Amino acid sequence: MDVPVQEVIRPATIAEALAALAEREDARPIAGGTDLMVQLRDGRRRAGRLVDLGRLGLAGIRRTRDAIEVGAATTMDAIAASAEIKRSFPALASAARQVGAWPIQCRATLGGNLANGSPAADTAPPLLIAEASVTIASAAGTRRLRVADLFLGPGRTALTPGELVTSVRLPLDEPAPGERVVERFTKVGPRREQVISVVSLAGRAVIRPDGTFALVRLAFGSVAPVPVRALTAERALAGRRPDAAARRDAARAVQDDIAPIDDVRAPARYRRIAAAVLLDRFLQEAARG
Amino acid sequence: MPRPDAEPRHRTRGSDPGPRTTDHGPLGGRHERPDARAKVAGSTRYVGDLSLPGMLHAGVAVAPIASARVLALDTAAARAVDGVEAVVTAAALPGANLVGVIFPDQPLLAADRVRMVGDRLALVAARTPEAAWRAARLVEATLEPLPAVHDPVAALVPGAPLVHDGGNLVRTFQVARGDAGRRSADVVVEALYHVGGQEHAYLEPQGCLAIPEGRSRITIIASCQCPFYVQQAVARVLGLPLAAVRVEQAPTGGGFGGKEDYPSEPAACAAVLAFATGRPVRFVLPRELDMQVSTKRHAMVVRHRWGADRNGRLRFAEVDAVLDAGAYVGISTVVAERANVSAIGPYDVPNVHVRTRIAYTNNLFGGAFRGFGAPQVTWAAEATIDRLARAVGLDPLEFRRRNLLDDHRRRICTGQLLRRPVLARECLDRAATLAGWDEFHARPRAADTATREGMGIALALYGCNLHHGGQRLDRSSAVVILQADGSVVVRVGLTEIGQGNLVACQTIAAQALGVDPTAVQVWQPDTTTVADSGPTVASRGAHASGMAILDAVRRLRTRLDPVAAELLGCRREQVELAAGRARVAGEPDRSVTIAQVAAELAARRIEAIATGWYRSRPRRFDAATGEGEPYEFYAVACHVARVAVDRDLGVVRVEEVSAAHDVGRVIHRDALEGQIQGGVVQGVGWGTTERLALDHGRLVNPSFTDYLIPTFADAPKVNIAIVESDGAGGPFGAKGVGEPALIPAAAAVRNAVVAALGVELDALPLVPPAIVAALGDAHPFAWVAEEEHEHVRSETVAPGR
Repeated sequence: MDVPVQEVIRPATIAEALAALAEREDARPIAGGTDLMVQLRDGRRRAGRLVDLGRLGLAGIRRTRDAIEVGAATTMDAIAASAEIKRSFPALASAARQVGAWPIQCRATLGGNLANGSPAADTAPPLLIAEASVTIASAAGTRRLRVADLFLGPGRTALTPGELVTSVRLPLDEPAPGERVVERFTKVGPRREQVISVVSLAGRAVIRPDGTFALVRLAFGSVAPVPVRALTAERALAGRRPDAAARRDAARAVQDDIAPIDDVRAPARYRRIAAAVLLDRFLQEAARG
Repeated sequence: MPRPDAEPRHRTRGSDPGPRTTDHGPLGGRHERPDARAKVAGSTRYVGDLSLPGMLHAGVAVAPIASARVLALDTAAARAVDGVEAVVTAAALPGANLVGVIFPDQPLLAADRVRMVGDRLALVAARTPEAAWRAARLVEATLEPLPAVHDPVAALVPGAPLVHDGGNLVRTFQVARGDAGRRSADVVVEALYHVGGQEHAYLEPQGCLAIPEGRSRITIIASCQCPFYVQQAVARVLGLPLAAVRVEQAPTGGGFGGKEDYPSEPAACAAVLAFATGRPVRFVLPRELDMQVSTKRHAMVVRHRWGADRNGRLRFAEVDAVLDAGAYVGISTVVAERANVSAIGPYDVPNVHVRTRIAYTNNLFGGAFRGFGAPQVTWAAEATIDRLARAVGLDPLEFRRRNLLDDHRRRICTGQLLRRPVLARECLDRAATLAGWDEFHARPRAADTATREGMGIALALYGCNLHHGGQRLDRSSAVVILQADGSVVVRVGLTEIGQGNLVACQTIAAQALGVDPTAVQVWQPDTTTVADSGPTVASRGAHASGMAILDAVRRLRTRLDPVAAELLGCRREQVELAAGRARVAGEPDRSVTIAQVAAELAARRIEAIATGWYRSRPRRFDAATGEGEPYEFYAVACHVARVAVDRDLGVVRVEEVSAAHDVGRVIHRDALEGQIQGGVVQGVGWGTTERLALDHGRLVNPSFTDYLIPTFADAPKVNIAIVESDGAGGPFGAKGVGEPALIPAAAAVRNAVVAALGVELDALPLVPPAIVAALGDAHPFAWVAEEEHEHVRSETVAPGR
């Protein structure tokens, strides 16, 4: 079955793109199309007009003084292959390499992964622990929004019609001398490739020379209506060593950060247990360094 | 596709190159499959690639709920869609409103009653696929929901909602041998297994093209396994004689049983629309609809009570199986017959009581699927065998060795004696050796690691070809034409569906005629070129078509040999065909090319076409008692699986499967190995990740996003041992392998996972939540799910991305 779209516009500038989006209420931006095309075909989303972002120069990874800016049209493959990202945001590089399979990674974009609004978006937990923000442009101007405020519910985001994510900003945060950083992304799925996360975790720990946490940030996917920061678990761990007692407290605390349901991929009970397992493994790794 | 930074994964191929020299002929070799290049290059034209001038596209409106009375159908809005040429409901059918293969219980179009999600309500033909499907969605059905039953065991309890008027128990099959014999058992194991169904997941969805010639006859080009089934179904709904329905098999992108019985339904739909409009109609099912409405592997509930003595000898086996037919019988009776005979595997058991019942439910209906009821009962039997081995304190291999059928103990549960040699023990030893069973178990393993390793074994006894109950279908037809240039046309009635039947037929014909395989062209089946050859099922393709080809070659040689003898100056009995030549036996220097002989036949206007025929031998079988010879002969298979289980997350990785197969003689080595590799991977998928998630009879994961078949990254390394022997009844002594390749795989994986974790797992598939649930309180984080949680939001996580 074909995709029910009336027109496709290929603007050459961001201004043209925003105008094309503003003209029709049923206009939608499209980049890789790996989610959108499927949703259009299934009737889960509708678009009378598609605005192709391919010619806007929105792809690219750029380092500024205190941040890395990732263009919204940067592909998962480019993110996963980027030395800059691998060095400063290894969880994001790892997550990008686990979206779908390689052919998907060569089309799917970071902006699309966010704008799609899935609770299972693999790049969301790494961006949450990076405390990243998105730049959003529209005919009315641009605004900046924290990734933590972008997701509203399954398939729903704070983006309004006519708005376009143009880039994602990841603030650089160098550890103090003597501190070490452990950052990981893990996802659980029944098969090795091409699987939507049943539970995913991104964790970033900065550990002082005495073994206590200088910082610990945790975020989960697929365990709530939106990707979530596990602030309760973070508080339970603050300043402590990741020993057995702390890990157990964190496993308990994280249950209050998540709100999984039973769905076709797994029951809520499994997601609660798997979230605890992923967290425990991350903390053990942090302890080992 | 592998990730660019992924570790390369090992892939092996049997190191045995097989006979290579043309003098031995192509039998057992690896010459290139005739269909391979076009399929790999993407130039094969499947039904969805076909187009004709004026062609219309079909759509179908289906019931969204599993049980209802049809109060009204309003097609006005559908008819008003631009481009719609016809909307057909039950009232407008020209012939019988019936598509049931064996039982007349399934209408083509529901008239008054809906019995499953996906029951057809109306058909649409339109100028574009989009218009057809839009119109189909606009068919307005007023349905009054009725009580439904979704559990096959509950369906058999008196008072359950009735799916059909006659009651929910469709049929019962039994076989009994000996008596209960419980007193002599020292250990008794009881277990209840819930074995899930499976989606075929063929790459190409169901599809066909119907081309009418007025209202007098019709051609159907269909993606199918069984052109003769399609022919019968179309003749029935159109009210035409069989001779007026021509069915040509299109190149078929996978079947696995899913294109045995089911394609008759879309073909009947397209045929009805073609007659209604007078135009060609193409009907290709979108993937989600295909998954939602087509047949599935039957889910089964299997209750066991088996006993052994303290020496590890099986004393008795009681099996009570219920098969979920879904809303229509389809071919469930035939599946149950095979399940019934396969229920205790290749073991010598003095006392056997097996009962297999078929229950109607309002679920999706079960159909043919590689293994045909045997994988489900094998999964249960091999689980129980492992339980018994543990109970008597024997290694699973040793326990099996003490109980396997062999040349001295070769009576199966129906009383039939297996033909010698019985190769169960040989298969077990070969598979265990390939897997390194002893080395694996000698290696120390840490018990407290996140990843647990395990090895498991399973065997299967497979009745080759059709069961006695289907013997009327067990015949086949072939045509062999020697062209004037020495090339050869072969036509058969059995289909290539990816399994390698073309190359098997090509090899058999080339071997028999002594020509190079490239000289032989095997053409897709067409019901106007050969007689009804029965279905391409039951691993019978190479057997049935090969035997018919050999018969045709024999008949052709009654005309060819005298001409060759004249050219050679010898007696006709001295003529032998090999290496592309006719030669005098024992004097290879006295020869002429086959092409010269062919030219001579043409010059003399001698009939260079021959037909061939095969039918299976008559057998004795009593359907009431289950005693006798259900199958002509049998094959044995043994798989050993090595798994790595992430215990706390419940994720199973199948690392390696070692498969030993009793195949008689190899026809084509690549095709054989391909069948084994594919069967193993499909069995592994069924056993681990492929879960049919049903909600009130509706499949809630009808896509490859959520129905998880193995990717190449998940495919285990497959080691293959081919156990050859003489004496099988097939062409050159071959036995079918298509289904044995799958049957033991999931059971071996299950036993490996149980060995790795130390807990019994009695439900298939072994998805992560099922494993974590089975661990119960032994899971280190079981407690987190038992406590109260304050963070509760009303929104839910959407099932889509």
